Amino acid sequence: MFLAFKELKYSKTKFALIITVVILITYLVYFLTSLANGLASSYTNAIEKWNSDQVIITVDANDNMMMSYMGQDDFDAYETSGSKTKLGLFPAVINNPFAENVLDSRVEVYFFGIDNDSFIKPSEQKDLTLTGNQVIVDEELQKAGYEIGDLFGVTGSTQQFEIIGFSTNTTYQTAPVVYMSLDTWQTYRYGSANTPDLFSGIVVKGQTNNLPSNLASYTTEDYISTLPGYTAQVLTFSVMIIFLIIITAFVLGIFIYVLTIQKTSMFGVMKAQGISNGYIGGSVIIQTFLLVAFGIIVGLVLTALTGIFLSNVIPFAVNIMFYLVITAAFFVFALFGGLFSVSAVLKIDPLKAIGG
Amino acid sequence: MKQLIDMTNVTKDFLQGDNVINALKETNFTAYEGELIGIVGPSGSGKSTFLTILGGLQKPTTGKVMLNGKPFSELDIKEKSKIRLEKIGFILQASNLIPFLTIKEQMVLYNKITKSKVNQPWMNELFQKLDVEKLKDKYPNELSGGERQRSAIAKALYHQPSVIFADEPTASLDTNRAYEVVKLLAKETKEQKKATIMVTHDERMLEFCDKVYVIVDGVLGQKTNNEG
Repeated sequence: MFLAFKELKYSKTKFALIITVVILITYLVYFLTSLANGLASSYTNAIEKWNSDQVIITVDANDNMMMSYMGQDDFDAYETSGSKTKLGLFPAVINNPFAENVLDSRVEVYFFGIDNDSFIKPSEQKDLTLTGNQVIVDEELQKAGYEIGDLFGVTGSTQQFEIIGFSTNTTYQTAPVVYMSLDTWQTYRYGSANTPDLFSGIVVKGQTNNLPSNLASYTTEDYISTLPGYTAQVLTFSVMIIFLIIITAFVLGIFIYVLTIQKTSMFGVMKAQGISNGYIGGSVIIQTFLLVAFGIIVGLVLTALTGIFLSNVIPFAVNIMFYLVITAAFFVFALFGGLFSVSAVLKIDPLKAIGG
Repeated sequence: MKQLIDMTNVTKDFLQGDNVINALKETNFTAYEGELIGIVGPSGSGKSTFLTILGGLQKPTTGKVMLNGKPFSELDIKEKSKIRLEKIGFILQASNLIPFLTIKEQMVLYNKITKSKVNQPWMNELFQKLDVEKLKDKYPNELSGGERQRSAIAKALYHQPSVIFADEPTASLDTNRAYEVVKLLAKETKEQKKATIMVTHDERMLEFCDKVYVIVDGVLGQKTNNEG
């Protein structure tokens, strides 16, 4: 510890440069993680809120719930050990060019048509009853300036909807969700003239007992991975993050290794004087640890600041679990890099210190 | 007088390709407390081999080395390392100072490693004796060659070793500085009852030595005897 600290203190500039690199990388990693997590959550928030086990849509829909059409007979034919509920899903664009209090007059949303007693109704608004044109909307619309009692229209429809409540963490494929009764949803989806009693899918809590052959079941997780772009996006971010962690390990490992090689003759002298491999190697590891720890702390602080200033602009979500795993990975990989140098220390021959 | 080093029938052979090189032919050597012993010899004569075997950095091919009356050459690497740390002081050509520690910290490092207490009175005494009091908070690169070697001697004496190995301690010094350093070394050797082995190229330094040995082609022989 003594040796490691003293050297950090003495070679401030050298180590400051290394720490800067580590800070930049850790900052990037934590920032990307928050961004990836935020993006992923904004894809799936509304689904996760269902707390469901399975999602059922028609086989013909080919993984796309918006192209799935089901009727009451399908709902009755599907049997589960738990509970099931109908869901109508369709995208819409709020089009409200005359709203004065609203920042952005056109917003892409998803309409969820649900039964009033459905378990997929946002729990914080369980007491509100959805009738007629009344809707519960995601808090993002509240941030955009909408208030309770506001009316809005949608592109391609003459219907007007009235906001009676806001729900939290209810976005679907990054867009806010608008909850309404199934009847209202059907009117929007199929028009008022001859509205069929159709909906898109069944959300299930429990196991399947009978699955008609025209229906396909997905676990909720599988269903999420069928959302367009979701898997590609999560995979891209994950690969970037994993590689950055490995790159950090290499960069640190190489830095420490070069520093160790520079100090070969000094370590030789120290060994000749009877200072053990354990002590010298230990101080190399402690240095690596300190560099990573410092980089991580500053990286986290920067990420937190970024989150505070940018969370309204970009999807930014903190997940302590992810942070812990990444932090642990940083340490493990970096110490792995440090071990290279320790093996170099072990190989230094104290004989070289006594020339003649 | 107490015998501190005793080397009996030590030889060292190297294998170079298919040839066996006798780097050190059968050598017997003893050093008593209070003795400053000079070792001279041309390059490649076996001086370093001799010193590294004494210091336990390599094993003799035959024979054994006793340190403080205890067998040293037969110990394993870890134990030898421990003995070097506690019982031997090194003063090396390029000085044995660590660049990023101040002169004081060089000494404290020993306490940190051995988890012992800093011996402040002794440290101050050494600073005064070697006239490095003003340098104690400086880093080695801020010191002149002479100051560095005086500091190195202070460091070598700090943990109160029983023997001191000095490898070309005057190599980077001008004549006056060199005399000064060797005189100090001789004085401390007497006062602290150490045995000091000094390998040197510099014949002028031998006048301070109690005994002088010459190594030529791996054969150690006593040259002169200026008892003082």
